[in-house]
Formats: sequence, structure tokens, C-alpha cells
Amino acid sequence: MSGKTLTKADIVDYIYEKTERNRAEVKVLVDHLLDIMKQSIKKDDALLVSGFGKFESYDKKARKGRNPQTNKSIVLPPRKVVVFRLSRKFRAELNPE
Amino acid sequence: MNKSELIKNLAEARDLHVDEASDIVNAFVESIKQALVNDDRVEIRGFGSFKIKSYKGYTGRNPKSGDVVTVAPKKLPFFRPGKELKEFINQ
Repeated sequence: MSGKTLTKADIVDYIYEKTERNRAEVKVLVDHLLDIMKQSIKKDDALLVSGFGKFESYDKKARKGRNPQTNKSIVLPPRKVVVFRLSRKFRAELNPE
Repeated sequence: MNKSELIKNLAEARDLHVDEASDIVNAFVESIKQALVNDDRVEIRGFGSFKIKSYKGYTGRNPKSGDVVTVAPKKLPFFRPGKELKEFINQ
């Protein structure tokens, strides 16, 4: 682990170097792209990015939980969670022979 | 939605040529993949973060046939949705 973190600013820089647009424009586009991605995950319950993976949202049922500090039992409401499943291609790229 | 629909949506929303939208989406994905291949973390505020977990290889057994199988070491990415995404999905 190199300990580095890629942030949104780095992603904007990366795209900026590959397009004719200025950084501010690229930033707006990236924010918009992320917005469309979020809406897609919410609306379709899935977003498939070929060569990378799939974001899926699925329902979790309500369950009983416990506040570990006060020991009070509470009911955790049903909610949706998002998971990422990587594509076979990306898995192969991460694990070269 | 898949990647080509994502590209089309971005192109329409921002009045871009589909080719340009395609370059942007591909570069976006490429930057994340490259970071993960280098074992770097990725953190996109409001959306989520990715990190690589490395698993050691082990010898296991096929529970049905009893055959010994060797499982090679592997790296897998993990995604943690950000607070904004979690809240948005549950709205």
C-alpha cells in the first residue's frame, strides 16, 4: 500500500489533461456525472459500468439492534444499502497472472 | 443504467457531443481504476470511497468432492458509500 488517496480534485486533473476544457468546466462536469450516477443507483437500483463494475442498491429489513453504550435495544429501520461488485475484467486487471 | 446510457445522459444534461461525454466518463473510470491498481485509496466526497483489500492465498477443499484446491492470493476493491449517497438513496 502506497498510502496515497485519489480525490475528486485528482480525478478532475486527470480528465482535464485529456480534454480541451478548463479545470472549472471539468469540475462541473464531474459533479454532474456523479449526480447522474447517484440518481441512476436510486432510480434503477443498479448502475453498470462495463470494465469496472456494478453499483447495486438493495433493501435491508428492519432489525433489532442495541446501543452498545447504553445497552438499550432499538429497532433499526429498514433501509437501502449500496454495494459495488467488480467486473471480471477489472478483477483480472487487479490480479495479473 | 449502463455506461453508454450514463454517457448519453451526461451529454444531454450538459449539451456536450457524445464523443466528448464518452471521453470524460472513460477518463473518470480510468483514473479510479489506475489508482486502485496501484493500491491507492479513492475518496469521492458525497459519493463514496474505494479501497483495496489483499487476501492471502490458501489451500482449501472442495466441500463436495473433497479435492484440495489452491486459492491464489488476490486483491479485491471495496466500496463504502458516502453519507450523502446513503441519505439520497433512502430519501
